[in-house]
Amino acid sequence: MKKRIGVYICECGSNISDYVDVEKVRDAVKDEEGVALAKITMFACADSTQQEIVNDIKEEKLDGMVVASCSPKLHLFTFRNVAERAGMNKYNYVQSNIREQVSWAHSDKPAEATEKAIRSVKAAIARAMLSEALVSPVISSENVALVVGAGIAGMRTALDMANTGTKVYLIDSDHFVGGRTAQWGEIFPTGETGREVITGFYDEVIKNENIILHTGCKAVSKAGSVGNFDIKLKIGSRGIKMDAAASGDFDERLEKAIAACPVSVADDFDFGLTNRKALYRSDGRMPALPVVDRENCTKCGECVKICPEIDIQIEETYEEIKVGSVIVATGFDPYEPSEGEFGYGEINNVITLQQFRRLIEISGEKLTYGDREIKTIAWIFCVGSRQTGVLKGENKYCSRHCCTSGIHAAVLARKKFDGITNIHFTRGVRTYGKLETIYEESSVAGDIYLQSYDDSVPVVSHENGIINVKVDDILTGDREMEIDVDLVVLVTGMVPRADKTIGDIMKIPTGLDKFFNEVHPKLKPVETVMDGIFLAGTAQGPKNITETLNVSHSAAIKAHALISGGEIELEPTMAKIDKKLCEWCGKCLEACPFKSIDKEEYEGKTVAVVNTSTCKGCGMCLPPCPVNAIQLTGFSDREIISMIDALAE
Amino acid sequence: MTPDEVKYDVVVVGGGIAGQEAALNLANSDQQVLLVEKDLSIGGHMIHLSKVFPTLDCGACITTPKMSETVRHPNIRVSTFSEFTEIERLSDGTFTGLLTRHPKYVIEKDCTGCQDCEDACPVVVKDQYQYGLVGRKAAYVPFSISNPRVAAIDIENCILCGACERACPADAIDFTQKIEKTKVSAGTVIIATGFNLFDPDVIEKYGLGKHRNVITSMQMERQLVPTRPYNNVLRPKDGKMPDNIAYVLCVGSRDQTLGNPICSQVCCMYSAKQGQLLMGALPMADVTIYYLHIRAFGKGFEEFYQQSIGMGVEYVKGKVGTIDEKENGDLVLRYEDIREGSIKEATHDLVVLSVGMLANPEAGTLFMNNALELDEFGYIRQVDMLRNPASTNIEGVFVAGTASGPMDIPDSIASSGAAAAEALSYLKRKS
Amino acid sequence: MSSILVFSTEKISDPAIDLAGLLKQHYPPTVYTISVPCSSGIKPAWIMHAFEKGFDGVFIAADGTDCPFSETCTEKTAEIVARTHEIMEEKGMDKARLRMAAICSVCSQAFVKQVSGFSEYLEGSD
Repeated sequence: MKKRIGVYICECGSNISDYVDVEKVRDAVKDEEGVALAKITMFACADSTQQEIVNDIKEEKLDGMVVASCSPKLHLFTFRNVAERAGMNKYNYVQSNIREQVSWAHSDKPAEATEKAIRSVKAAIARAMLSEALVSPVISSENVALVVGAGIAGMRTALDMANTGTKVYLIDSDHFVGGRTAQWGEIFPTGETGREVITGFYDEVIKNENIILHTGCKAVSKAGSVGNFDIKLKIGSRGIKMDAAASGDFDERLEKAIAACPVSVADDFDFGLTNRKALYRSDGRMPALPVVDRENCTKCGECVKICPEIDIQIEETYEEIKVGSVIVATGFDPYEPSEGEFGYGEINNVITLQQFRRLIEISGEKLTYGDREIKTIAWIFCVGSRQTGVLKGENKYCSRHCCTSGIHAAVLARKKFDGITNIHFTRGVRTYGKLETIYEESSVAGDIYLQSYDDSVPVVSHENGIINVKVDDILTGDREMEIDVDLVVLVTGMVPRADKTIGDIMKIPTGLDKFFNEVHPKLKPVETVMDGIFLAGTAQGPKNITETLNVSHSAAIKAHALISGGEIELEPTMAKIDKKLCEWCGKCLEACPFKSIDKEEYEGKTVAVVNTSTCKGCGMCLPPCPVNAIQLTGFSDREIISMIDALAE
Repeated sequence: MTPDEVKYDVVVVGGGIAGQEAALNLANSDQQVLLVEKDLSIGGHMIHLSKVFPTLDCGACITTPKMSETVRHPNIRVSTFSEFTEIERLSDGTFTGLLTRHPKYVIEKDCTGCQDCEDACPVVVKDQYQYGLVGRKAAYVPFSISNPRVAAIDIENCILCGACERACPADAIDFTQKIEKTKVSAGTVIIATGFNLFDPDVIEKYGLGKHRNVITSMQMERQLVPTRPYNNVLRPKDGKMPDNIAYVLCVGSRDQTLGNPICSQVCCMYSAKQGQLLMGALPMADVTIYYLHIRAFGKGFEEFYQQSIGMGVEYVKGKVGTIDEKENGDLVLRYEDIREGSIKEATHDLVVLSVGMLANPEAGTLFMNNALELDEFGYIRQVDMLRNPASTNIEGVFVAGTASGPMDIPDSIASSGAAAAEALSYLKRKS
Repeated sequence: MSSILVFSTEKISDPAIDLAGLLKQHYPPTVYTISVPCSSGIKPAWIMHAFEKGFDGVFIAADGTDCPFSETCTEKTAEIVARTHEIMEEKGMDKARLRMAAICSVCSQAFVKQVSGFSEYLEGSD
C-alpha cells in the first residue's frame, strides 16, 4: 500500500479548467487516504512543472503519483519519465484522463463534469495506492525488418534501414517493383520520369547486401510481437528459371516466345488501355525477367518450344522469417468511377486521370483515343473525393494530390501535342504551397478554369458523337457553361488498396477514410497501435511523391531506433497464476492466443505457469479460470474493484 | 574566440518543431546532437499556437513535452540565444562552424524562473511573444511555457538601473556576460530555420496599423490560447467583444505583386480552426471567411473544413479590395463576390488578416560564401525531391520543416524525419 | 441520471472515446470508464461488483475484429457477457443492464450513440 501520493490536477491551459472546477477537484481529493499533496498546475507537461514534480517526489518522499490531465495516449510516457527521473518506479504513476473523457466530452455540463472528474481522480488515487513497483522486461530484438511493398515508399524505407545496418526483407505482391510511380511519365516538379526514378532505386536495392528482395511475394501470416515477429512469406513463381537471362540469345528468343503466346488480356499497368500476353514483361520495368501470368495462361506450350527456360511447373515457395519490425508501404489504388459516374463506362472517351497519364506515355505524335484525335479536353476534378452534397459516395476526404496531378497532366498534354485546349471543371483548385506554380503555369498558358460547388456538379452527355460537358460556373456568377469536347478526363483520387489482407494480418486499424491509421498525426505520425509496425507512404492516405518519401524516411529512422539496439523494453503487464489456487484444468491455455501457459509441478499438484517471454498481457486467460487463480499485473481484482468503488461512490 | 573545439555528430540549426523532431530522431539513434536556437527559448512558432488542426489538440500539449524531451535527452545539447554560422564543408565531408552565444545577462543554471526580476524592472516594452498585444518588462522570462524557463535581460531596452540585480534571490543576474564564440565541428548539419510571418503592414488598403480593429491571424491566435493576454477575445480599439468577425485569406500569399506567388498552405486551415474556436469562445458571434480557394487537402482537413461549415462559419468566395474604418471602429470591407459576380460591401466589427509564410532569409547566410542554394522564393532548394527530399546542394547538409517551403505541422514533422534519416545515412556512409 | 460503467480497451475503444471528447460529441456525464488491455479479459465478477456498487448499467466497448491480440476476441467477449447474463438472471436482474458492442478506434459516433441509447433505456426502466 502506498502512503504518500502526489496528485497533480492539470488545467491544460484552460482546456480542462474552462469546464471542470479544478479547485473543487483538488479540495475533494486532497484528504483522500494516501494523498500527501494535491496541486493544480497550468500545464502539467511543461518542463517547469515536470521539474516541480520531480522536486516534490524527492522532498516529500512520495511513493505514488497521479496526474489528472489529458489522455494517457498523449502523455503517459512523459509522466512515467518524470517519475523515473525522481527515482520513483514509473509504474507507481497513474494518469487520469479528465480532458478527452471529462472536460471536453461534457463541456455542455460543467457541474457534472466536475463531479465526474472528482470520481475519476479518486479512482486513479485508489489504483496508485495499490500500484506495485515493476521491472519492465527487456527482450532481445532482431535487427531485421520486413518492408511490405516495393513501390517508391517501400524502396526508400528499405534502403534507409539497410544503409544504417538493418537487414531488410523487401517484398511486393507484384512481380515488378516500382508500384504506382513506375507507371508515371514525367513527374512534377523535377520533370524526371517515374521509370528513371524507380530504376535508380531498384539498382541501389539490388546492389545493397542488406536487402533481400522478393517480388510476387506476400506475407501470409504473422505471429509474435515487436522485436520478434514470425512472418510467413509466400513467394510466387515467375514461371521461368531465374538464371534464364544468362543465356546470350535469351532476349531474342523471349521476344519470339511472347509473340507466340496466343493469350491477350487487359494490361493493368496501362489501366486496361492496352493488352498484354500471358507471358509478359514491360518495357523498362524491373526485374527485367518476364512473368507467366498463370491465371490466364492456357498451358498451350507455344512459348516453351521457343524458350525452354520457361517452366510454369515451378511452384511457389514459402519462407519463414523472424523480424523485429514491419513497415507497411502498400500504397493506394486509383479511384475507379462507378458505371455512369460522369459518363464513365457509358460514354466513349471518358477516362480516368491515371489512364490519361498512361495514354500520353503510349501515344505517338498525335494524341488519339477511341479513333478520335484529341484537341479539347474536359478535366473533371474531385471524382471519388469530397463526396458531399449531390455527389453520392463514402469518400468524404480530399485526395490531396489530384488537383496538382490533373493540372500537370493537362500541362504535359499541351506541351507534348499540338493544339490542345484544356478546360478544367474544378471544385476549387487545391494546389497548396509551391505546387501553386503549376496552376499558374497552366493558367498563363491559356487553360480555362470553371468552378462549381457540391450542389451543382458538371454533367457529361453524349449525342450523335458529340460529347458535351455542362456546369453552372460560379466564377462567372453561376452562368451555365456548356462545352463540346473530344475527351473527358475524370481526375480521380486515391483510395485504399482493394486488397486488405496485409491490414488483417498485421492488425492495423483504419481511419474514417479507410486508409491505415497512425496513432497521432503529430506525436506518432508513422506508428500504428501495433508496437513495431509502421506505415510508409500512401497506405496511410493520399500524398505526392515527395511527401511519400518524407514519411518513408521517417518510418525508417523510427524503426531503426526501435530495433537496432538489439533490445526492446516491454510493458510488464502479464498474467500471473496463484499456484495455491490453481488446479490445472487447461482452460487458460485454451484461451491464450499465444500459447503462453505451461504446466508445472507445485506441492504435489500440476499447476499452470505463465511463460513471461511470450505473454502479451491481454488477459484473455482471466475470465475462463474456474477458481479465479489468475491476476493481470496492473489490472488485478483489487485494483479494478478499488477503481469501481471510487467511481461508484 | 575560445580555443577549444567541440565535436558533434550533428548540428541542428533551429529549435522549432522541425528542429526538435530531427534532433530527437537522431539522438534516439545514438547520435550526439547540438541544437542551436537563436531565440531565448526553443519551441519556434508552434509553441505560440492555440489549438492545432485537424485534431484540435492544444499546440502547447504537443510541443511542451517534446521541448522537455529535447532538452533532457542525454544525446542532445541545446544552446538558446545562439547562432551557428560560417558553416563550411571540409574535404573529408565533415563540417565546421561558429557557435555564437549571446549573453542573456542571466546565469542560466542559477535562474529559477521566479520572475522577481520582472516585478522589479521598471521598463515596459511590447511583448513580442504576444505579438505586441500587451507589454513585458526589460528583465523577463520569455513566456510562461518557455524552455529553458529562465529570465533574460533585454539589453537594448534596459536602463541599467540594477533593480533586477537587487531583486534576484538567486544572484543570477550578471551584466558582465560577454558574447561567447566556439568553433564546432560536426559530421552533418540540418537546417531547420523555419519561416517568417508575412507582415501585412505593406498592404496599405487593408489598413493594418491604421485601423485598430484590423489584426493579424497570429494576434487572434494569441487571443485564443490558454495563456492568452486578456483571457478573452477583444477587439483592440475599444475592448469590445466582437460579434461579427471577418477573415481575409491569402494576405501576402498567392500575390505576385508582393513577390510571393505561392500558397502558404496553412492559412485556410488555421482560419477554419480559429472560426471553430471563436464559435466556442463567442457563441453569439458570426464568422465570415473571404477566400479564393479553400486548401483543405491533408488528412482529415476536408472533414475539418466541413465541420467548420457545420458549426456556422460562413465562407464567401471573394477577393477583398479595401478595408475602411467607420467612426465607431467597425470596418467596411469592399469585396468582389465571385459567385454573384458583383462588387459588394460588408460591415464587420473585427477583421483578421490571415497572413502567410515567407522564407526566412537567414538560412542563406549561415554558410561561408553563402554556399547554400535557395529557390526562387527564397526557401532552401531541395535538389532531389523524388529521391531524397531533405538533400540540399551541399552534400551532407539537410533541410527540415518550413525552411524548404510552406508546410503545416504534420508535413514539417514528416520532413524532419526525412532530414534525420538522410543525415543518419550520410553519417553511416562516412564511418 | 442513470450511471454506466464502461470497460474500454487501451488500444481500440479507448481512442474512440477520446475522439468523442475531442470532437465534443457529448454523452451523459455519468458514464465512467475503466480501460483494460482487451475486452476478452474482463471478469464477470468485476461486472457484478459494479452492479452491487450501484451502477445501473455496464457497457463493454469491445475490441471486435480490430483486437490486436486474437481473432477470437468477439467470441470470447460475447462468452463473458453470456456468462454474466446467466449470473444476472439467477439473481433476478434485468439482463439488458449489461450490453456490449464493438467500438473501433475511430468509432466515436458509435460510442456516443451506444451509451446515450443505453442511458435512455436505463432511465426508462427505473
